[in-house]
Amino acid sequence: MALGEYPAEYNPKVHGPYDPARFYGKPDTPFGQVKLGELGSWLGRRSVGGIPSAISRAWWRWQHKYVQPKKTGIAPFLQLMVGSMAFFYMLNYGKMVHHRNYKHH
Amino acid sequence: MLSRLALRSVQEARPFLVAVRPTSTTAVNKATERDEVNFPRRARPVEPGKVRMGFLPEEWFQFFYSKTGVTGPYMFGVGLTTFLCSKEIYVMEHEFYTGLSIFVMAVYAIKKLGPGIANYLDKEIEDIEGSWVKYRQESVEGLKQAVEDEKKAQWEAEGQKILFDAKRENVALQLEAAYRERLATVHSEVKKRLDYQLETANVKTRIEQKHMVNWIVNNVKASITPAQEAAALKQCFADLKGLAPQSA
Repeated sequence: MALGEYPAEYNPKVHGPYDPARFYGKPDTPFGQVKLGELGSWLGRRSVGGIPSAISRAWWRWQHKYVQPKKTGIAPFLQLMVGSMAFFYMLNYGKMVHHRNYKHH
Repeated sequence: MLSRLALRSVQEARPFLVAVRPTSTTAVNKATERDEVNFPRRARPVEPGKVRMGFLPEEWFQFFYSKTGVTGPYMFGVGLTTFLCSKEIYVMEHEFYTGLSIFVMAVYAIKKLGPGIANYLDKEIEDIEGSWVKYRQESVEGLKQAVEDEKKAQWEAEGQKILFDAKRENVALQLEAAYRERLATVHSEVKKRLDYQLETANVKTRIEQKHMVNWIVNNVKASITPAQEAAALKQCFADLKGLAPQSA
């Protein structure tokens, strides 16, 4: 699937207007309901090339819930701030270790 | 996993959804294969997802509630932060204290100015959306009014038809009057000519008669010989004598 195109399973006549937060393929068991024994086969059904689309759908789901409603508050801004703070702290952790105050914990 | 849990609730947040316009103009959405049950039309929610403390989604707290009660997630948070700080995975270096001061100021600013700005922005949104809705409603009403005016104009045009009949009748009357007037003129002209002829004929006969009478009288007078005149005079005298003795 090329960048910027609709997913192959999207059919406007059946699905209506395109919703970027929905997965248009064959429905599978949600991850929260997968039994431990089925985990291997469940992971086998996933593909590595679907990871960017999964991230995109997650981003759109977050947007639909917190950014797009008519009366949003400060919540999405704070969530993005906290998220980016955590992410950059993790990236710079190697440097942070040297600023520890105590040697033995 | 927690994110999926938090975000899944957007699909079920029905009470907060705004109804979409029921009309649609795309042929695609009216196709017979349209699966309205599994893929319903999206509606734009009015209220966002609920959060606690500004950024933590409510669903995370609900997730803990069944197992640990109300204080569960808070204890989890306290325990996690204690672990991170004591093991110095989260290092409290000098930048941390800068961040802490900024955090305190930000909390104060949000608590104080938040509701005011929210109300102002909500009012702005209402004004803008209201202007769109008003424009649409006013154009619909304007068009309805135009339809009414058009119907009235049609009714007035119908009235013109009656006026046409009256005008036609008027013209017919005028034609009739002109015709009659000309008829009268013709009649009088013809009568004048005929009268002239009559007069000339009468004058002619009168003159002829007069002339003839005069001529006859003159001729008779001329033809009376003196012997006839004396005999006539004698007769007259004899008649007078015969009459005279009776009137004594």
